[in-house]
Amino acid sequence: MKSIYLVFLFFIGIQLQAQSIKNFSLKDTQNSTKSFDELKGEKLTVIDFWATWCKPCLKSIPAINTIYEQYKDKGVSFISINCDGPRSIAKAGPMSQSLKIQYPVLLDIDSTVKTQLNLSAFPTLIIVNAKGKIVWFHEGFISGDEKEIIAQIEKYSNEK
Amino acid sequence: MKNRIISFAVLMLFLCCTTRGFAQFYGSNLLETQYGKLPSDAINFGTAYDRALLGYTYNRFTAGVTLEQYYTRYEERNYTKITQYSLKYNSDILDVSLGNFNETIGRGILLRSFEIPGAILEDQGYRSRNYFFRDVQGISAKLKLKDFTTKVIWGKPLNNVFPPNQDNSVRRIDEIKAIYSDYTFKKQTLGASFLSLNNDKGNSNYTMLSLSGVISPKINYYTEIANDIDNASSHAYYGNINFTFANIGITAEVKDYNNFLLGSGFNEVPALIKEHSYRLLNRSTHVVQPINESGYQIEAYYTFPDASVLTVNNAISKNALNKDFIFQEYFAEYSFSTASHHDFKLFVDYAEDPFKDQSNRISSGIYVDWKTSEKSSLRTEYEFQHFNRGGINVQNQVLTLGYAFKSKWIFSLVSELSNDPFLTDKTWKTWFGSNLKYQINNENSLQLFAGQRRGGPACNAGICYEVLDYKGVELRWTTRF
Repeated sequence: MKSIYLVFLFFIGIQLQAQSIKNFSLKDTQNSTKSFDELKGEKLTVIDFWATWCKPCLKSIPAINTIYEQYKDKGVSFISINCDGPRSIAKAGPMSQSLKIQYPVLLDIDSTVKTQLNLSAFPTLIIVNAKGKIVWFHEGFISGDEKEIIAQIEKYSNEK
Repeated sequence: MKNRIISFAVLMLFLCCTTRGFAQFYGSNLLETQYGKLPSDAINFGTAYDRALLGYTYNRFTAGVTLEQYYTRYEERNYTKITQYSLKYNSDILDVSLGNFNETIGRGILLRSFEIPGAILEDQGYRSRNYFFRDVQGISAKLKLKDFTTKVIWGKPLNNVFPPNQDNSVRRIDEIKAIYSDYTFKKQTLGASFLSLNNDKGNSNYTMLSLSGVISPKINYYTEIANDIDNASSHAYYGNINFTFANIGITAEVKDYNNFLLGSGFNEVPALIKEHSYRLLNRSTHVVQPINESGYQIEAYYTFPDASVLTVNNAISKNALNKDFIFQEYFAEYSFSTASHHDFKLFVDYAEDPFKDQSNRISSGIYVDWKTSEKSSLRTEYEFQHFNRGGINVQNQVLTLGYAFKSKWIFSLVSELSNDPFLTDKTWKTWFGSNLKYQINNENSLQLFAGQRRGGPACNAGICYEVLDYKGVELRWTTRF
């Protein structure tokens, strides 16, 4: 048990800094490779990580679509990253089109980006600022969360 | 071990303090404590599991380490182990990984690594607990050019049946060498792979060819075939074609596997069975048998103008073992919202599962999120299942009542009921449990479970595993930075 406490002491000793995102490249549903650098927004980039088997993810998508419409011309880019594994990746394209996702849908079948960002739940939505720092991180989705997402986009898109 | 941890912590703190500004630390920690017992335990007892993941990024380099610990009153189950370590280099054209990494070849037919977020695995035999993942320990390099990708892998995949308190020579008995290349032209990708496996049973060699692409913006496909070079009867074929027309999406998949469980099981052929999020259906899933399985799955989605969604699915799987077992499932789900923003989900499912000796299995349910205010909702969920096993009618039911305030507070009461003679010799068996999740802030969350948890098969992110029955209290603290 002592070693657990040591780990806690270690955590307390760390000065916290916002995590950064590294450039990544993934294929989209049309078999074209897209990179984060190509898709990122002038002010902010909103990235939604989802899977076809995740019910809260599917519930969040229409809400994010609405937010996208509101901010797409305001320097805020949106990226959808599907994290289905081999079992269900085939459904990602048809489902994203059926749900009319308006922004690029990338396929992270190898969990490359998910692992890089150490994600532990679906859906996870992150907001990345122009410097590549992850300024907001949100797990799960229930009704009302869309207001919080908008509030955070407003807050960080006005930040100098 | 203690000295190693202290040295490591001091080193990391030193790096953190001296390199601030142009390098970065990140990490997460999951601590779960339990007090309770499995049905087979004589007494209640406490356990503590911790997983600390620490990463350090400097320019194009990333170093990472995962420390897992488990402690109970039973010494033989306990451990403190560095279960993963890695050094990675990433650039626009080259990725190199040393240590532990995740890699999948094709649709997992030759190699499938995974990590199930938040899942802690406990095995009835070893009774130790560990994070649920399957990685490879070794070296991988990936060259990424505009239309051409190639990756080479050498390493030892994890057999996660064995917990970290077992020796690495037991947990990683397979050694693989693999190369995968693909070339993309006119939105079509042609891939080829070769994998060589060495273990105590000798050497085996496998090849795989894949072809995927876009026929039109509305139609795309993926096919792959893999064979054992030395055994013509061992093969795995998988293919899918997807259509989208306005609000309709259709996915059709076929499979044919024979004698294609590689090594200790480091590959994962696609199951082509719907992964349900509903409790009873998730538990009733058909687990793919790579020894012999063929079949198909078709799924269609239709999004109505009012944003309601209809999903239908049909899957057939045939296992030709000592006799033919044909699993079939028909599923339909409709989800919609009312004008007052209450969310409804209704489903019905019919299945025949001779592998489990379940016939006429009918499942249905209704999930409702009743919006009570801008920021809160009440949840009611009910599922019912009936099937016949050997002339005996079996029923399972689940009732859940919940309340959510934003994503900050989520509370639920779960009750399950079953008269399955495999589980009870009485008329009915019940399970009552409660869950509370409190999202303290962006970085920290607490989850509390108290009561009884019904075990059984569970599938998450395409991976199926066994959850054990549990009675007691469980507290989980997750933090990230």
